[in-house]
Amino acid sequence: MATAFLEPLLAAAASGGSTNREWLAGVREQALRQLARDGLPGPRSEAWKYSSLRALGQRRFEPGDAAAATRNVDAGLLELAGVEGPRLVFVNGSFRADLSRLPSLPGVELRTLSQELRDDADGLRGFLDRVHADPADVFARLNTVLAADGPVIRVAAGIVVEPLVHLVIVGASASADLAWQLRGIVELGAGASLRLVEHHVGEAGHGHFGNSFIQILLRAGARLDLLQVQNTPESASLVRRTEALLESDAHLEMRSIEAGARWMRHDLVVEMTGDRSRLVSRGVFALHGRQHADTRLDVRHAARDTSCDIVWRGVADQRSRGIFHGAIVVAAGADGADAQLSNKNLLLSDQAEIDTQPVLEIHADEVKAAHGATVGQLDERALFYLRSRGLSRAEARSLLTLAFCRVAFDSIENAALREHIDAMLLERLPLHEDEVGQEPTSP
Amino acid sequence: MATNMTRESEPLVLRDRESVSSEGNEHIVEAINRRYGAGFVTDIETDTLPPGLNEDVVRWISARKGEPGWMTEWRLQAYRHWLTMIPPEWAKLRIAPIDFQAISYFAAPKEGPKSLAEVDPKLLETYEKLGVPLHERARLAGVAVDAVFDSVSVGTTFRKELAEAGVIFCSMSEAVKEHPDLVRAYLGSVVPTSDNYFAALNSAVFSDGSFVFIPKGVRCPMELSTYFRINAINTGQFERTLIVAEEGASVSYLEGCTAPMRDENQLHAAVVELVALDDADIKYSTVQNWYPGDENGLGGIYNFVTKRGDCRGVRSKISWTQVETGSAITWKYPSCVLRGDESVGEFHSVALTHHHQQADTGTKMIHIGRNTKSKIIAKGISAGRGQNSYRGLVKVEKGASGARNYTQCDSLLIGKKCGAHTFPYIEVKNPSAIVEHEATTSKISDDQLFYCRSRGIAEEDAVSLIVDGFCRQVFRELPMEFAVEAKKLLEVSLEGAVG
Repeated sequence: MATAFLEPLLAAAASGGSTNREWLAGVREQALRQLARDGLPGPRSEAWKYSSLRALGQRRFEPGDAAAATRNVDAGLLELAGVEGPRLVFVNGSFRADLSRLPSLPGVELRTLSQELRDDADGLRGFLDRVHADPADVFARLNTVLAADGPVIRVAAGIVVEPLVHLVIVGASASADLAWQLRGIVELGAGASLRLVEHHVGEAGHGHFGNSFIQILLRAGARLDLLQVQNTPESASLVRRTEALLESDAHLEMRSIEAGARWMRHDLVVEMTGDRSRLVSRGVFALHGRQHADTRLDVRHAARDTSCDIVWRGVADQRSRGIFHGAIVVAAGADGADAQLSNKNLLLSDQAEIDTQPVLEIHADEVKAAHGATVGQLDERALFYLRSRGLSRAEARSLLTLAFCRVAFDSIENAALREHIDAMLLERLPLHEDEVGQEPTSP
Repeated sequence: MATNMTRESEPLVLRDRESVSSEGNEHIVEAINRRYGAGFVTDIETDTLPPGLNEDVVRWISARKGEPGWMTEWRLQAYRHWLTMIPPEWAKLRIAPIDFQAISYFAAPKEGPKSLAEVDPKLLETYEKLGVPLHERARLAGVAVDAVFDSVSVGTTFRKELAEAGVIFCSMSEAVKEHPDLVRAYLGSVVPTSDNYFAALNSAVFSDGSFVFIPKGVRCPMELSTYFRINAINTGQFERTLIVAEEGASVSYLEGCTAPMRDENQLHAAVVELVALDDADIKYSTVQNWYPGDENGLGGIYNFVTKRGDCRGVRSKISWTQVETGSAITWKYPSCVLRGDESVGEFHSVALTHHHQQADTGTKMIHIGRNTKSKIIAKGISAGRGQNSYRGLVKVEKGASGARNYTQCDSLLIGKKCGAHTFPYIEVKNPSAIVEHEATTSKISDDQLFYCRSRGIAEEDAVSLIVDGFCRQVFRELPMEFAVEAKKLLEVSLEGAVG
């Protein structure tokens, strides 16, 4: 079932992407065959229930960007307040040394997939040979087949990396709409610790399709603090996948801010295979206009005494649609698991929609698991209180909505960064527009 | 007691099997037999259709029941649509493929009884063993019973009293003949023939069921009850129930299900449709205790049920209460379509799975009207190798301003090999709606158990006590007799789950 979307991409994959590694060629071939066989998931696919791929399937994108190395990118796009350390920049899926900043840090490798593929492809085994058997993981397969570049970050055992590492993934305008792929690898040795910002931005107006897939491996006792800030222009489509594997005592601490893109899907897949490993995930999506954002968490407890603590917030205004799926699986034998998930949403317009689906699948009995989900509005009493203190209704609504979102990132210690996110969200939140004089439409 | 007779008369086979290992341990044997107290077979000749399904079978059933042409055509349409459908696979259930051609689609007692006095005494005995208050006992218990025995309604009591109130309570076959206009107006209006695989199958071959019509302004003077029973081997039961409550009417309907022990899986695909007009109120309670299969997962009923209530009128209310302890496989989602403004939907459920039982059950609340409210309380208990899933949808449509939903799903795990799962879907399109969902999963707390034991309560009793407390919220929605039965059923079903 080749669609207009898949056709040129599969053709490009079949002709290019040669490798002298048999294992890699085999994996790519298999993924290619699967793609050709299964195509894009249809309306019956549970994983794509709320995000139809019909419209995307009819679009045609140029595969990759031959001119990625020379595209002009506004330097301002790459900046993030409070983040001044090492920086890796990828434009339309390709590494840009000229825009990056790579100081030498002891015990830290900041490299790229293209370099690794050239110099030491075998070191990528265990990452690139990941097979996605489920036809719903169509974009992961596509990424396996086509991705040629991306960040490869390795931290040696016991190394605590001081500076905040800034990974910038940029969509730059081109004469045609492109489909770019990016595959990243983050590997922390035993006891290592890293703080990383994954920052998605783009030049306004382009209609690219981006497919970013980051694989994370945390060895025993490692800790990764990952902040994901997604603020691509509202003309772009973006599919992201974050896959993390946690060995014993590993700790993944995530903050995800989803603000941009016209059509966005983020699969966050975390597997806790080590005893006492821990996931903390905080996230928020704030949507307006005709944005469509689908966030899908799949967390699997596969070892003893593991824990996850997930709190996500969603805001949908105007004609946007926000989708949240948070599945927690406790495998048989994963005793002592402690799993908590909360997903609260604000639905601010009668043209908007929120779909939320918290899922628990429990196959062990020494377990504490709970989830909660709500969809509602701002508290009228809180609004009234703020108005009684002299705030306009619009200001009061903005303030309360921002406070609602803040749960996702208020634990970030970097004040400048926190304020930057505040400002970014305030701008996206519809409520900055002056509504004074308008009477509320609420009940 | 009648149940003593059960144990004496039938379980000889079991006794033989057991005697090898536990000679003389009669109390153990008895305990084993007690586990499924309703497991006996009534020996009556049945007029059974040979296995297989085609248009002729559908026609035969329709002709056999003396149905008018439109009904036959309705069935055939459903059958033809069914042929184009595939069995649903989305539920978290492992189901061996069902050979629909190996099932017999009609079984009826040979001598058609015309009144209660003519009912085969063996049949009545069966009901007595199950504790169904039929005949005189029905009057004492104040319950009117439309008892369905392998597809044909054999006796309906209290019809006169009900008729005086204007209430129609009869079997579906009678209703098709005597109240064709009502049936035609409402049948399939809530669950269309093409709704889903099993509903289509049911529409094609449904054998009988209950029809209830409560006219405008009438409060049904008594609780109505149907007792379903599956008896003959290899026969599917395809009940069709339709309850219509006109403006301001109200009714409480009880449905209980037990089935005798069989080693083969039997199919049960029922459809229940409820229609509530302005200010009407329907309460539908179920205790489902179909044969769950033995502890090795052999046998048991496949229970695929489509239940849906349509709150068509303003301020109407439909409330589902279910206690699901039986069946090898349960696939059931009693739902409410909240069309009328200010209508209310409720769902209270206890689902228990033990041994190899699997349940995928929940509800759908579709908010269409303004200021509609729904409440979902679902309690799942998993023991042994049981797999228990809650699957629910709360949907708030664009026009449903002021809609409100509260959902609570709790799961209790007893044992290492069972599973408890929660799959809620929440879809909201109206910004003034408030939807809340919460779910927890845990095992019985060691602290609670320890406390009970320190008070001298045996472990098994302590578990019963805790489970009872866990389910209390749902049990109190049941009519009293049912609540007692439900509590007992849970105890019996959980035997052997601890320790």
